[in-house]
Amino acid sequence: MNVISVDGLSKSYGKGTTQVNALHDVTFSINQGELVAVVGASGSGKSTLLHMLGGLDKPSGGYVHIDGENLYELKEKERAVFRRRKIGFIFQSYNLIPVLNVEENIQLPLLLDHRQPDKAYIQDLIQTLGLQERRKHLPSELSGGQQQRVAIGRALAYRPAIVLADEPTGNLDSRNGQEVIELLKLAVRQYHQTVVVITHDMNVAAEASRVLTLQDGRLLSDTSSNGRGV
Amino acid sequence: MRSYGAMAGRYLKQQRKKSVLTIIGIILSVALISSLGTMGQALKDNMILNTKYEEGSFYFGYSKPSPELYKTLQKHILIDQLGVYRAGNEIPLTDEYSVKLSTADEEGFKLLPIHLYEGRLPAADHELAVEQWLLDKLPGTPGLHGSTQIEGPDGKTRNYEIVGVLNNQKRSQSKGSSEAFTYAPSANTAIDSQAMVLLTLKPEVDINQQVEDFKKLNDSLFTNHQLLALMGESADGNLNLTLAIIFGTLIGLVVLSTVAVIYNAFHIAVIERIRQFGLLRTLGASPGQIRSLVLREATMLSAIGVPLGLLIGWFGMWLVLWLMTQSGMKIMMMETFELTFHWWIMGGSFVIGFAAVYIAAWLPARKASSVSPVEAVKGAGSIVRESYRRVRIPSLLGLMGIEGQMASNNIRRNRTKFLITTFSIVISITLFISFHYFTSQALTITTTTNEDDRIAFQLNTNLLVDDTGKPNVVSDEAMKVIGGLPGIHGVYGIYQSFDFQIVVPEPVLKSDFVEKTNMALERVDTNLILYSDLFLYDEARLKEASKYLQSGTVDPKLLADQDGVILVQTVKPLTTDGKKEIMPITRYKVGDKLTIMTEYSSEPAKQQIREVTVAGILTQSPFGAPYQENTLVMIAAKPTIAKLMEARTGSADDASAMTGRTGLEVAMKDGADPEPVKQRLEELSRTIPGSRLVDIAEEQKETRNFNLQMKIFVYGFLIIIGVIGSLNIINTVQTNLLLRRKEIGLLQAVGMTMGQIRRMASLEGMWFGVIGSFWGILLGVGFSYFLYLQLSSVQGFPFEFPWGAPLAACGASLLVGMISVQGPLSRMEKANLLEELREEA
Repeated sequence: MNVISVDGLSKSYGKGTTQVNALHDVTFSINQGELVAVVGASGSGKSTLLHMLGGLDKPSGGYVHIDGENLYELKEKERAVFRRRKIGFIFQSYNLIPVLNVEENIQLPLLLDHRQPDKAYIQDLIQTLGLQERRKHLPSELSGGQQQRVAIGRALAYRPAIVLADEPTGNLDSRNGQEVIELLKLAVRQYHQTVVVITHDMNVAAEASRVLTLQDGRLLSDTSSNGRGV
Repeated sequence: MRSYGAMAGRYLKQQRKKSVLTIIGIILSVALISSLGTMGQALKDNMILNTKYEEGSFYFGYSKPSPELYKTLQKHILIDQLGVYRAGNEIPLTDEYSVKLSTADEEGFKLLPIHLYEGRLPAADHELAVEQWLLDKLPGTPGLHGSTQIEGPDGKTRNYEIVGVLNNQKRSQSKGSSEAFTYAPSANTAIDSQAMVLLTLKPEVDINQQVEDFKKLNDSLFTNHQLLALMGESADGNLNLTLAIIFGTLIGLVVLSTVAVIYNAFHIAVIERIRQFGLLRTLGASPGQIRSLVLREATMLSAIGVPLGLLIGWFGMWLVLWLMTQSGMKIMMMETFELTFHWWIMGGSFVIGFAAVYIAAWLPARKASSVSPVEAVKGAGSIVRESYRRVRIPSLLGLMGIEGQMASNNIRRNRTKFLITTFSIVISITLFISFHYFTSQALTITTTTNEDDRIAFQLNTNLLVDDTGKPNVVSDEAMKVIGGLPGIHGVYGIYQSFDFQIVVPEPVLKSDFVEKTNMALERVDTNLILYSDLFLYDEARLKEASKYLQSGTVDPKLLADQDGVILVQTVKPLTTDGKKEIMPITRYKVGDKLTIMTEYSSEPAKQQIREVTVAGILTQSPFGAPYQENTLVMIAAKPTIAKLMEARTGSADDASAMTGRTGLEVAMKDGADPEPVKQRLEELSRTIPGSRLVDIAEEQKETRNFNLQMKIFVYGFLIIIGVIGSLNIINTVQTNLLLRRKEIGLLQAVGMTMGQIRRMASLEGMWFGVIGSFWGILLGVGFSYFLYLQLSSVQGFPFEFPWGAPLAACGASLLVGMISVQGPLSRMEKANLLEELREEA
């Protein structure tokens, strides 16, 4: 079943001679439970694609369907609510809220929706992420790896349709980076999550079940982990 | 955490220092707003009380009532109090003294301005209240509770018991005739042309609307004009509107400064967290949720700051007044001075405080909610770019070395921050200047005071010096003895005054005066004739006159040597538009020659002309009426006047006799006991036949008291404004600096010494003071002029800007600006460099 469906997606910035085509007619779809890596050189359009998938920026053309919903037909506020419920974000720089502790940071998307968190699930998540001992700590009291684990927890808290990770290992040493990858794989296995990871790191890409390669805003290749094009 | 909203509280707690600074800003503003309101209200209450005391507390009265009118009024449903007063006939007691026995009923006594010194008011028709001085002139010289026999209102002599002693009045003592009161129920009072009916209306009745209806009942209606004007119930008086505009303007200024300070704090707080807000947006927070987060912070800060502000405002006022009474003013009767608690002021300040904070937080909240999530997730680096203006006017700071250049760059690099900081300093200075102007002018209007306020006793004689054969009726020796008594502020001789005509060249006469008063002046050739009163001042009087000196000298020796006169050329005529206005009548300067006609004649040949020199100019008369209506006041020492009088009379002896001392006036120190002085003066009075002692100690004490209370208001106001203005500047400058801790850490890291940083920051603080002062003075003069226009609708006076205090305020703001950066810098100096850099990274 397609969780993400992208059709003819384009995004350009500027006008006339200064126009830059960040994305050009990109089409692909992703099934539930896939771990997909998006790779490409700097400026290839990876981040723009991620913003489009996350409903953060508006495309110049084409469609993005997430969980059957045409993302850009939604109004600003509806898209915010959709993002809150269906999309989890993980960033390179963790981006935790400094005044909230580990548990609160993880629960934040639910709280924004005025919902009481499912305690058992959150406990399970914290356990899985190995943050049991650090539940009441503030982000400033955590190491980089731990902070990123909190960010993963936050992305999974709402059991979203998709998790979008932007260079999640970029700020981490290799051991912590590997841990993060394992957790993302675990999310796919344990919670049947769909995860899209943007990365420079070929080791990360190697762990994915599918790799999308972008070049100059176009989809250059789409290979599954067994090496065959999809 | 139960809701995302709790993040607001968490943030405030984490940023404790910034939150405290913001709360202080709110507290100061709310304190200022509420104390302004309370002081304004107290000022008005005090003026109403004083007016009721002076003029009586009735609203309307009828001077020629009829019995029918009285019956109608008795049944009138709008009337609250209805009193009857009936003037008695003059009853001679001795050759010199007489009494007028008037009656009033119970309500009448309440509504009339009758001032009891001791005892009580009459409650039966055989009871009597008289002025204190009259007691020993009455048959049987009774004391309080004694009895006397005088002719009653019905013409029959009867026995009266003295139940009340009234305050001595200056006028009645000088005239030798006083009004005494007895009780007469309205049923027994003949309502005729000698009677007067006084009334007040029920609360909630629109007095102003009723005037016409009440006038229809009887034409002789008169209103207690001043009281109604103060109560905002006068048809023609716009006093209340004026007061509302003035206090509205001042409170508006305070609200503006609050909004500026709070906006500044919120703007900075939002900008610092703009990534966090963007992040929340990526996590699915709607713009409305982000807005409500910021507004929730505003609510929390107000919830702490506003009530504390109300509390501190109240206790601040209390403390200022307490300190003032402790520091020497307690000698006056402070018990009549009250700070009244008004719910509407507290409620109003509460609402204004909250509203100001919300207004201030609204724009930053909108900014936070409109943060693009893409910008936030783009990651590294601050997304707040400061707009650096490359083309700008070179600043003087650039001359102060590298620190000066950096300070200049820091000040200008962020336009919004610069504007907000300057704005809040400018507002503080503007506030102080406008307040200073307003209060000092209000003081002049409400209390036209001079040395007469201190005069407690007068010893008058109706003798001329000639009759005694001595140079003075009251001898130098006597003056010395009285002057040596304890509690005496001054003893001044009473002399004859003289009127002269002055020949004034047309250009010297103020054309304004002629235009506004439409006064026709007699003309001789190209000159005009102006009337003048010449007063003789002895050394003691001249000494007091120095307080009013505008230019020149009051030195008696110099005056005598150069035939000098001191002029009061400021008058207070009734202008053609029907209001009193203070203005100059002539434009003489020190050194000018003044042409006096010692003998006026329409034939120039018979005119006698003498020339004197203007040696000094006073702002107002130190004794007697502060301003004349349309005459020039000349003051001179004895030798000059003797010469003039010799010219007039042709006899040195006559001139000498005319300049002799005919009486004396005694000024008491505040709080001194007048009783021993009175006894001494009575003794003296007995040795001078035909002399009359006028005792106005009680009245004088009350006038002084009122004037002093007004002064307390004024200085209390100014102290509060000064303190709050300074705190505002300190808060603004410190907030500005504390928010740059990280940057200052960075400057240290690249090798700037703490000394250099200190110099840079001090220069910044000082420069903000300079810019603030410049605009503050400009705006302050503007606002003062606006307030002047409002005030002059109550009573006309020329616009004169008092430069001293505003300049001092600017100097203080420079100093405060410079000093307030030292505290935070010292703390930064002690802090760990790395910690600073890491903070909020």
